[in-house]
Amino acid sequence: MEKKRYAIVLDTKKCLNCKACTVACKFENYVPVGDDTYRIWVTELPLQGKFPHLHQDFQPSQCQHCENTPCEKVCPTKATFKTPEGVVLVDYEKCILCKACMTACPYDARFVSEHHEAVEKCTFCMHRVSEGREPACVETCPVRVREFGDLNDPNSRVSRLLSSRPYMQLKPEKNTRPRLFYVL
Amino acid sequence: MSTRIDNLRSLIRVNRDVPAIPFIAAGFVLLVLGLIGVARVIFEGHEAVYGVTRQVPWGLLIATYAYFVITSTGLAFIGGLGHAFGFHQFAGLSKRIVLLAFIVLLAGFTQIGMELGHPFRLMYLLILSPHFSAPIVWMGIFYGIELAILGLELLVIFNPAGTNHKLAAILGFLALVVGVLATSNLGFVFGSLTARPFFHGIYFPTFLVVSGIAGGAALLLLVYNIVYKFNVPEQFKEAMNSLGKLMGLCISIMIFLSFWKVLSSLYTEPQEAYDAVITLLRGPLYANFWIGEVLMALVLPLALLIVSKAREIKTMGLAGLTFLIGMFFTRYDFIVAGQLPPMRAGNEGSGVETINGLMHYTPSSGEWMIFFLGLGLFLFLYFLSERFLILDADAH
Amino acid sequence: MNNKIMSRRKFLGLSTGAVAGALFGPHLNLLMAAPEGTFDYSILPKGKREYIASNCDMCVNKCGIIGEVVNGKLHKINPNPKNVKSRGMLCAKGNAGAAIPYSPDRLKTPLLRTGKRGEGKWKEISWDEAFKYVAKNLADLKQKYENRSSVAFASTEGFQEEFYYYLVNSFGSLNTVRHTTLCLSTNIQGWSSVFGSFPDADLANAEYVIMLGSDRAQALITPDSVDFQRYKPKGQKLIVLDPRFTETGAKADRWYPIKPRTDQGFVLAMLHVIISENLYDREFVETYTHGFDELKEMVKEYTPEWAEKKCEIPADDIRQIAREFADHAPRSVIYPGRRSSFYSHEVYVRQTFAILAAVCGCWDTKGAVVPKASIPLTTHEIMFPFFGQTMDRVDKDAVNLVKDVVPSAVQCPMIGTGLPNDSCAFLSEKDGSWVTFREAVLKDDPYPVRGFFCFKQNPVQAVPNVQKTMKMLEKMDFICVIEQQMSDTAWYADIVLPHSTYLESWDPAHSLGGIWPIVEMRQPVIKPLFDTKTMFEISGGIIHEMLKIPSLWDDIEPSDLEDFKKNVVEDILDKPIQDYIKHQLSKYPGAYEQLLKEGFYTVDGGKPVYGTTRKPGFLFKSKTGKIELFNERYKEFGLFPLPKYCEPLKPQDPGEYRFLVGRNAWNTHTSTQNNPYLWEIQKENSVWLNTGEAKKLGIADGEYVRIKSKIGEQRIKAYVTEKIRPDCVFYVNGYGMKSPGMSRVYKSGASEAEIIDDVLDTISGGVCMHETFVTINKA
Repeated sequence: MEKKRYAIVLDTKKCLNCKACTVACKFENYVPVGDDTYRIWVTELPLQGKFPHLHQDFQPSQCQHCENTPCEKVCPTKATFKTPEGVVLVDYEKCILCKACMTACPYDARFVSEHHEAVEKCTFCMHRVSEGREPACVETCPVRVREFGDLNDPNSRVSRLLSSRPYMQLKPEKNTRPRLFYVL
Repeated sequence: MSTRIDNLRSLIRVNRDVPAIPFIAAGFVLLVLGLIGVARVIFEGHEAVYGVTRQVPWGLLIATYAYFVITSTGLAFIGGLGHAFGFHQFAGLSKRIVLLAFIVLLAGFTQIGMELGHPFRLMYLLILSPHFSAPIVWMGIFYGIELAILGLELLVIFNPAGTNHKLAAILGFLALVVGVLATSNLGFVFGSLTARPFFHGIYFPTFLVVSGIAGGAALLLLVYNIVYKFNVPEQFKEAMNSLGKLMGLCISIMIFLSFWKVLSSLYTEPQEAYDAVITLLRGPLYANFWIGEVLMALVLPLALLIVSKAREIKTMGLAGLTFLIGMFFTRYDFIVAGQLPPMRAGNEGSGVETINGLMHYTPSSGEWMIFFLGLGLFLFLYFLSERFLILDADAH
Repeated sequence: MNNKIMSRRKFLGLSTGAVAGALFGPHLNLLMAAPEGTFDYSILPKGKREYIASNCDMCVNKCGIIGEVVNGKLHKINPNPKNVKSRGMLCAKGNAGAAIPYSPDRLKTPLLRTGKRGEGKWKEISWDEAFKYVAKNLADLKQKYENRSSVAFASTEGFQEEFYYYLVNSFGSLNTVRHTTLCLSTNIQGWSSVFGSFPDADLANAEYVIMLGSDRAQALITPDSVDFQRYKPKGQKLIVLDPRFTETGAKADRWYPIKPRTDQGFVLAMLHVIISENLYDREFVETYTHGFDELKEMVKEYTPEWAEKKCEIPADDIRQIAREFADHAPRSVIYPGRRSSFYSHEVYVRQTFAILAAVCGCWDTKGAVVPKASIPLTTHEIMFPFFGQTMDRVDKDAVNLVKDVVPSAVQCPMIGTGLPNDSCAFLSEKDGSWVTFREAVLKDDPYPVRGFFCFKQNPVQAVPNVQKTMKMLEKMDFICVIEQQMSDTAWYADIVLPHSTYLESWDPAHSLGGIWPIVEMRQPVIKPLFDTKTMFEISGGIIHEMLKIPSLWDDIEPSDLEDFKKNVVEDILDKPIQDYIKHQLSKYPGAYEQLLKEGFYTVDGGKPVYGTTRKPGFLFKSKTGKIELFNERYKEFGLFPLPKYCEPLKPQDPGEYRFLVGRNAWNTHTSTQNNPYLWEIQKENSVWLNTGEAKKLGIADGEYVRIKSKIGEQRIKAYVTEKIRPDCVFYVNGYGMKSPGMSRVYKSGASEAEIIDDVLDTISGGVCMHETFVTINKA
């Protein structure tokens, strides 16, 4: 059997900016209340145009689980590592809190967790995925902005979305090859 | 047995001529403040005491760490020149060089030790789970080796039975090489950060080494002026003269490097690198840059060195002082400027709060206290040594 | 449910050696490089994991939830993927519900006021004392005023509300007042005037949708907010008219910043186009409707050119939208929405919407506006005693009462008519009309009301013109509030009874009507953490104490009292609530068990219900039994039988802005802002001000301003934006709390009740929240 390659595909056109995902993530992952402590976020992209001709998009995002992984490269203790499925995780017990990964991340996806006493970030909810459940942000979304799945399975929802619609990725100039895809 | 004690006694005397007491006292006060800072970190936690944030995770302590350890390797470089490459003018300074380098490096270690959330984990994980492609591992290895070499060198130099000059020369050479490796690698610790193009390229590894040497020279010029109450004896004239020249040369190279770094970061507006340079030129760090970096670290010391024609030792001491102050800003700006361009714009919902499109960072009182710990440790230990140790090595 | 906890780590046996173990402790596994795939992903504490199905209570929607409970502690609330109403979603509020049982700000035990009202001095008392205290006060009030209606009972919807009414009816007051007139009474009234009921919209199948003033992306309603983006058919067109560029506007194919309160003109012009160009559904109109000729005559004058002047939308666009709407009919939706407490004469606005749906035949079919279906439950047939000392509602004579709250400008063109001439206009008597009721209490006309009970409603924050609410509370001899948290209203109470959270209690079954009808109930997800009770238990407790006081029962027949004791107290309140629920569900074998397992029950596999009224001969709830384009009852009452255009209120002075209210997706009214997980999304509200206007006023984004209406003044941050019309300002509800018990939002931001004038819609009794004009100045 081929290895799985996990990814999240987002259809942000549907996003209501309702913040269900951000709150769900906090409970699911013991992320404490705090302005700097969050794994995922929903950005209101700048308003385009002038009254009354306006346009606005909302952009939920999180750790990009880059294939070319800036955080993993600079981690001195292998606390940050990649699973065989390409999910970038932190082994909290190995983190020395040097914060090099936070400085290296082009997506500002990491923060210091008081709960783990380590740097943490989105895990694709691997503890749920390993039980056959969906990541919390995927599950709770009213309009299903995010789909999670295996890129190596041509019939997965993520594969079908990517094969049927054009998409973009965040900061392609950094050559990080994210596992987050934004269909257009 | 008694001879050994006698031998040890031969190293010690009370140097009443050296104005060490005020520095020891100042060092002690700073140390106490620093220890209060340490207590705060232990009881309140890093996050509560330090001013660093999610978006600017590295702040004053990384800057002061760099400030100390780079100066230390600069000293080691000068020491190595004396020991290994036959720059005899520096040979007479060797005890102070090695001692200074060792203590300054220790001061640096206090900074990184307090900066890391789990410093003890680092110690054993560097052995159990080292990630050799991470520059921080090499930073740990190189600076660790450097400390060991300097420690050994101290033992050799302060051997009551007399100095083994051959061994000292080998160790001096190793300290020079490892020091250069450590400091240039420190540049790469920043250069390896995908998110921060301001740090990328050859500039910082080079600049850090050169500015470190200048810093070593500056510290020696300053210390000799202090120790001899601005009346450095004839025997050190040549050494001081060489230090002045070395420092002048290094500052000139620094100006050259900085000029092209700034220009190359401006012309094509390369995103974050451009934004970072703008924070220096006319952004939140402009005063640090123009007054601290340009005036105090480059223009003023170079001007003083030129005026002194590398002869007026007092003037050179003054150049050393302004340079060391300016270098503090230089290190701070280097760390902070690269992190001010945000990785995500401060749009609503992003969780990022920007001021004029930039992140912001101000060192907290706790971070200053930890800096005082390092500075206090340096002043206290070094001037205690000046007071009680015989540091005027006989030339060899 | 999946109860398995993955535990694949710690593969290193003990054999590796005690020495290393002693040295490295928890880092033992680091001695060996972990083979790929052996990392333990689990993050939950080891122990017992349970998944319990119930339903949310963070807003009115009651979405399906599954509580994830680890060792007795609620870890997270997950959405119920099977629930046909909430469609497997759970919003920010629903997720944040998991913090409620553990909130330090929650009420944990009955509190008796010891200081002055609002001073915040409380004494903790036992439930026994509390029940006795409440019963004694009820007896005293009855004794003093010899009128059971001298005690008023306010409440808001919720599964436990029916038990509140056990208390109300056991005491025998007719003065009840609910949330409806603060929310959607105009909507219900307007749509019902045409179709006889208030329908839903089938957004999952509509090809063309017009939303006027509904922000479905933020003011979440299930299933609409889900269908709105997730299940909309490919190519569905969305037209949004709103003075604000809302998140819904951002999703629209076209957004028009319509001039406030001119929606009616827009729709009248659409009707003009559709009728004059013969685009309407002739067959449907002939089969089902009444009064088309009168309608045709009336809309003649409402040309798109006329409407353009009113609503500032180009005539050509109106024409195009009208044609497109008719073209897609019956799969076209003119969206009813929910809250409609907008403008005076709002009923006519909603009546106009309904007429548009009717003439295009967009009714009771896939993709149209569809009457709510429901799954009937078995009710307990009980008669409460008939009390001698019960007077008619205090607001019975509404016409004289409300003169002051209907501005003369909106009385025209039908001055003297249209004012409610029964107890509270056309809505149910139980709902009351908040503004009318409060006027009556303030005037002591025709009798004094001196007792006030409040269950989970928060009138101090929710009812416009807080000064009047405070005066009303000051009049009271006794105030009892039943709440989960120290709301602003609870803060002014004499006794506060702590209600259990929805996660700790059994709630009765409820049938939720809609295109996808569903039955829901609640079961405890966790054990109660504190000494709190549900309304079922509280009513039972108070009624038992009341029964010990003979004077409370001296105005009924002794046989009535015996029946009451038997039928209400012994048979219902003294039995486990599960018996009550089982009785409710007795028609549906297996329903109770399914509710325990899944949290909801449907018949017919939860399929949508269409076409129940599309049968020749079906009698609509109207005078003619038809869909009334021309309302015969309105004619009788002296109202417009056809929705003639009414002019909006205009600002008195230049420099005044119309104040609008609305919601965010992360808060419900005034009840959730103190939840830490929602508070961190928005810590205070800010007033939206158009960029151009802000420039004129010299106000910068983020700067504090004073907003002033004739009612009051508030200090609030300015949000300078292009997203709002220059003649309007807006902020969300629920901030600027008066109660320190809402610690995070106490005095932070601005309250709406402090600003909004209490203007009344005369037909529905609803309040008009968008008829207040304000000035903005630098703070």
